[in-house]
Amino acid sequence: MNDFARRMLSLDRRLIFLLIAVVTLIPLLYPLGLPIRVSPEVRAVYDYIENLPERSVLLLSLDFDPASKPELHPMALAIVRHAFRKNLRVIGMTMWLTGTSLAESVFAQVAQEQGKKRGEDYVFLGWGPGGANVIISMGQNLYAAFPTDYYGVKTSELPALKNVRSLRDVQYTVSLSAGSPGLESWYVFGKEKYGFELGGGCTAVSAPGLYPLIDTGQINGLLGGLRGAAEYETLVDIKGNATAGMDAQSATHFLIIILIVVCNLFYFLTRQERGRQV
Amino acid sequence: MSTEILIGAWIATGLSLFMYSFLYKDNPFFKLGEHIYVGVSVGYGLVITYYEVMVKKLYVPMIQQGNWWLLIPTALGLLVLARFIPPIAWVSRLSFAFIVGVGSGVAIPRVISSLILQQVQGSLKPLVTSGDGGVSLITFAGFNTLLILIGVVSVLFYFFFSVEHTGVVHRVARVGIYFLMVSFGAAFGYTVMARMSLLIGRFDELVMYASAAYGYATLVLLAVVIAGLVLWERGRTVNPASLE
Repeated sequence: MNDFARRMLSLDRRLIFLLIAVVTLIPLLYPLGLPIRVSPEVRAVYDYIENLPERSVLLLSLDFDPASKPELHPMALAIVRHAFRKNLRVIGMTMWLTGTSLAESVFAQVAQEQGKKRGEDYVFLGWGPGGANVIISMGQNLYAAFPTDYYGVKTSELPALKNVRSLRDVQYTVSLSAGSPGLESWYVFGKEKYGFELGGGCTAVSAPGLYPLIDTGQINGLLGGLRGAAEYETLVDIKGNATAGMDAQSATHFLIIILIVVCNLFYFLTRQERGRQV
Repeated sequence: MSTEILIGAWIATGLSLFMYSFLYKDNPFFKLGEHIYVGVSVGYGLVITYYEVMVKKLYVPMIQQGNWWLLIPTALGLLVLARFIPPIAWVSRLSFAFIVGVGSGVAIPRVISSLILQQVQGSLKPLVTSGDGGVSLITFAGFNTLLILIGVVSVLFYFFFSVEHTGVVHRVARVGIYFLMVSFGAAFGYTVMARMSLLIGRFDELVMYASAAYGYATLVLLAVVIAGLVLWERGRTVNPASLE
């Protein structure tokens, strides 16, 4: 038994990579449809958007780049679809330079799906230099922070921005962030000073650091990682990439738990033997 | 399907497989993908910065709209480049002084207020609550508050090095270690979840690109990468000097 344990502990790690690949691939090819339970922090973001009156202003800051696309892109699609369905005016932007085209494609794609007009139903401001200072600048004067939108049209002439002079005129802001600048910057430099309600989404890595902000009421809700995106897709009743990926996520987690338990078992077996030798 | 989408799918598939080939071992495919990634990121960043900053924020407002006060930030920006000319490198300190001064002034009060004072406030909630149903002593929220309070205090004790960790201090610090372990475990669990999500995201697209609509891009390129790795390994076996 101990020989077997020792052999297992010195197993070529590439076999584990292969095992993970197979376990990930099978549920993607043959979905199981495991149930997705919606958590209160995801529901809070959904409910806030759901209860906004028509033509209210939702600011969606897509603060990520393609490296975090699998987690945050499905969230962005689900929230924009929800906002357009509720006939809200959506202001899109990004604080991540390398995420500009990706962010623009989210709004363009959903607008085309739902027949929304750029400039009337939504605007995409693009990226602004200065990191978190952009938020302060938008809080003072949105037209000065972004004189033109991403496409070069004057923001002061856009119908979607009618009566929106600064962040004080925004009803709800959601930041989907993969780091800094992101959700935390929106709270520190935006919400506390300009008084809008703030929700967010983040990669799973950042989630443990942002959960305390919910407890203190600094943000009203949080979508954490692929699971958060899948929960939001469940709420808006659109089966997107996140929902499709949840079976694979569950399967890989199950495998990793088994590997951790088995490896610890083997480790303690070989440790006992080492102890006897000493 | 348009040609540009098809080309994009093949490039994305190829580069993903090149990067994943590192799981086998470091190899020329991985190095090629890595260098392309760095080059494209820098090139993309330069183009966007030029258009979004130099053109939209500087050239258009200053030259076309006559906002000549923008010469001041332009001059401060140019002074940073003086770092590359040793005799006048000291001039760049003016710009850095401006950046550090303004940055600190803007950030310090806001960060202290938002991330320290409000978090302290969140850790000091009342254990006993009163409402329409009277006074509640034992509630789930109260239990959470107590747990957070014990966690914060014991972890602070663990990081308090001015007193020797013996007796009661040792025992409280020990509780702090358990809280830290739970915190590391939660962070690790979320990290695993994040990495698996990225893998699922790539696999999702690779499965899509394996279809006939995309010319079986994944299957063809996977075969190319495997064949390439086999040839590369054979070359290394024949000529061990190439390992250097």
